Amino acid sequence: MVRATSFAAHVGLLVALNAVAGSTLAAQAAPKPVTLLNVSYDPTRELYQEVNTAFAAYWKGKTGQAVTVQQSHGGSGKQARAVIDGLPADVLTLALAYDIDAVADRGVIAKDWQKRLPNNSSPYTSTIVLLVRKGNPKKIKDWDDLIRPGLSVITPNPKTSGGARWNYLAAWGYALRRWGGDEAKAREFVAKLFHNVPVLDSGARGSTTTFVERGIGDVLIAWENEAILAAKELGQDKFEIVVPTVSILAEPPVALVDKIVNKHGTRAVAQGYLEFLYSDQGQEIAAKHFYRPRNPTIAQKYAAQFPKINLFTIDEVFGGWRKAQATHFADGGVFDQIYQPGKA
Amino acid sequence: MVRWGWTMTMLGAVSGALAGGARPMLAQQDSTPSQDSTPSVEERLQELDQQVRILQRQRELEQDSLAAAAKDRPKLTTDKDGFWIRSGDGKFALHVGGYIQADSRTFVDDAAGRLTNTFLLRRARALFEGTVFKYFDFRLLPDWGGGTAVLQDGYVVAKLRPELKLQAGKFKGPVGLERLQSATDILFIERAFPTAIAPNRDLGFELTGDIADTLVHYDVGIFDGDVDGGSLDTDLGDGKDFEGRLYFTPFKRSSIVFLNGLSVGVGGTIGNERGTQASPALPLYRTPGQNTFFTYRSDTTAVAAVANGQRWRISPQAYWRIGPLGLLGEWIRSSQEVSRGTATADVGVTAWQAAGSFALTGENASYRGLSPRKPVTAGGYGAFELVARYSELTVGDEAFPTFANRDRSAQKAKEWAVGLNWYAERRIKIAVNYGQTSFDGGAAGGADRATEKALLTRFQVAF
Repeated sequence: MVRATSFAAHVGLLVALNAVAGSTLAAQAAPKPVTLLNVSYDPTRELYQEVNTAFAAYWKGKTGQAVTVQQSHGGSGKQARAVIDGLPADVLTLALAYDIDAVADRGVIAKDWQKRLPNNSSPYTSTIVLLVRKGNPKKIKDWDDLIRPGLSVITPNPKTSGGARWNYLAAWGYALRRWGGDEAKAREFVAKLFHNVPVLDSGARGSTTTFVERGIGDVLIAWENEAILAAKELGQDKFEIVVPTVSILAEPPVALVDKIVNKHGTRAVAQGYLEFLYSDQGQEIAAKHFYRPRNPTIAQKYAAQFPKINLFTIDEVFGGWRKAQATHFADGGVFDQIYQPGKA
Repeated sequence: MVRWGWTMTMLGAVSGALAGGARPMLAQQDSTPSQDSTPSVEERLQELDQQVRILQRQRELEQDSLAAAAKDRPKLTTDKDGFWIRSGDGKFALHVGGYIQADSRTFVDDAAGRLTNTFLLRRARALFEGTVFKYFDFRLLPDWGGGTAVLQDGYVVAKLRPELKLQAGKFKGPVGLERLQSATDILFIERAFPTAIAPNRDLGFELTGDIADTLVHYDVGIFDGDVDGGSLDTDLGDGKDFEGRLYFTPFKRSSIVFLNGLSVGVGGTIGNERGTQASPALPLYRTPGQNTFFTYRSDTTAVAAVANGQRWRISPQAYWRIGPLGLLGEWIRSSQEVSRGTATADVGVTAWQAAGSFALTGENASYRGLSPRKPVTAGGYGAFELVARYSELTVGDEAFPTFANRDRSAQKAKEWAVGLNWYAERRIKIAVNYGQTSFDGGAAGGADRATEKALLTRFQVAF
C-alpha cells in the first residue's frame, strides 16, 4: 500500500512538473498563431486571396506571428446583416460605407471608423461600367441604351448588393445630368431600366455568373474590376467593355470590428491587415485585380488599364450614403416603388 | 411534383415564344432590333433561348433562396449542454435540460447508529432556460430532490450590453466560489465548509457583466438577505443585503501559458437582519455528511437567540487550472449581530478550504466540469479524476455559552476528504468520496463530538 501510494505520488508530481515546464517553454516561444475573418462583398474573392497570402508573409516577417485570414463573401448588405446577427468578423471590407455604418450603429464598431484610415477608410476605388457581348450586337453606347424596349439588362438586387446600389445610383446620377436635375425624369429612367432586368441576383458575382456563364442578357452593369476581369480572364473573345459618358466614383471602405478584435485579441493584426492595403504592395495587388489604387504613383503605373470617365461622387449628387439609402433602398423607398416583380 | 411543375413552366414558355405570344418574363420585350416588324425565325429562337435560360437561372436563384430560408427556420439541435430549439434568426432559444443525482450515504464506525445510512435523491431538477427577443434571457430550475418541490432558480436577465446585464428574480448570491459552481460540476459530492457560510439562493436584483475584454467579471446587487448557507423565498424583515463580487482572470490571454487558468476574486455582503423568537433568522451548520453540528440556542424555555443587527461577509477566493491539475481555494468570514434576552454580541464564523483535482486521463481541469477526451459514446472509457481537500469551520468564542450550547454545538469542525470521479460524458458521472470530520466540542460535558466518517456515492445524469 505504501509502495502504491508512493508510485502514484511520483507519477502525479512528474505530470505536474511536465505541465509547468511545458507551459514555461511555450511562454518563451513565438507568438501564438492567429486567425482573422475578413467579411467582404461579392467580387473581391480573388483580390483578397492574394492580399491574404502577401499579408501573412509580411506579418510573419515583421512580428514572427503566423496569421491566417479567412474570407467570407456575399452581397454587401447581406454580409453586413450577417455580422449584425453575429458573424464574428475581425475586419469588414464591404462595398459601401452605409453597410459598415449599419454595423457601427449596433455599437460593435466605433462611430468614427471612417476617420481611422486614410481616404475615408477606402484604400482603393472603382466605378460602374457596362459589359456587353463581343461585337456589341445591341449597339449599346451609354446609359440611355439600357432603357430601350426589348433590351435585357443584368444587375443585382440593390436590397442585398452593394454593387447593385452603386449601379442604380450611377444610372440615377446620369439621368439627373441628362435631364437637368429633374428627379421625376430620373425616376422614370431608372424604372424603365429595371423593367428590362429579367433576373435579380443577390450579389454582383451572381450577376456576373448570370451574364457570363449562363449567357443571359444583353448587357451587364458591373463594377469596373468585375467587368475587366470578365472581359480579360473569363472570355476575351466573348465580351467587351462599354465605358459610359458618366459614372459614379465607388469607394469601397474597410474597417476593423472593435468588439470582435477586442474579444479575439486581434486588434494589432487586424489593424496591420487594413494598413497593408494602403502599402505599396497592397496597392499593387489592388491594381492587378483592376481596383483603382489610391497611391498616385501606382495609379499612374496602371493608368492604361483604367479608362478615363467623368465621375461624380455620392456626396455630390445624393448627399451621402445615409440619405441615399433612406430615399432609395429602405423598405418602401423609391426602389420598392419602381420595381415590382411580376408586374409588367 | 417540383420537376413536373418546372417542366410545365418550361413548356409554356417555349410554346408561348414559338407562337409569338406574350412572354412571361420579358413582358416589355415586344420588339427586336430587326428591320422588319416581324421577328425572323433566328430572332425568335434567340429570344426563346434567352427565356429558357432566364427560367433556369430564376429556378437556380429560387433554390438558393429556399436554401437560405431553410437556415432561418427553427432548429432542434443537441450539443454538450443538451437539447436546444433555436429560431433561425437566433433571437429565440430554449434549452431543455435537467439533472438527477442519486446518492448514498454510509457512516463508518457508527456502531451506536447515531447517524443514518441512507439512499437519497439529492437533486432531481428540470431546467428550462433560453433567450427571448434576443436581449432577454430566462432560467427556471424546479427541484424535486428529497421529495420536496422547490423552485431553485427563477430569474430573467436583460442583456443591455456585454458589460452590463440586469438580472432579477431568485438566483445564487454572488459570494462563494464553490457555491457559484453548478451542482453538476463540483469536485465532491457535497461542498466544503465555506459554502455553509456563503449565501445560497436569494431574491433580488443584480447588475452583472464582463469588462476589460472579459478579464474582469463583476456582480453587484441588492437582495432580501439569506442566513449563512440559506435559500430564501420569503423575506420576513425589511433589512436587505448588498452583495457583490469582483473576479479577475488577469492572465487569460497572456503568453505565460501556465498562468492562463489562474483566476482570483473577492465577494462580500453587508446588510441587516433581525429575527424573531418564531423565526430567529440564524443559521445552522452541517457536515459534508449533512449532519447538523452547530445551532444557536433555540431549545430553551426562556428565549432563543435571534439575529439582531448588522451582518457582513467577505470571501477572497481563487481557482487555478494547469493542464490536468485544478486547484480551488477560498476563505470566508461572516459576522452577525446576535441577541438573546438582553445579551448581544457580534458572532463571527470563519471557514476555508483547499481542494485539488487531477485528471488521470489527461483532460484539462475546469471549474465547469471535466470533459472526457474519450467519452463512452465515442467508444472510449470516459475520464477519471482524483480529488482531495481539506476544510475547516470555526465559530467564534463569543457564541458560547450565551448563544450556543457547547454540549450540543461544536465550535470547530475539520474535514479531510478524497474521492474518485468517473465521467462517462461531460456531466454523466459516478463519484465516490470518503471523508472524515472531527470536532472541537459539541458533545455532553463539553467533550468533542465523535468524528464523522462518511462514505458517499453519487450517480449523476445531467444534460
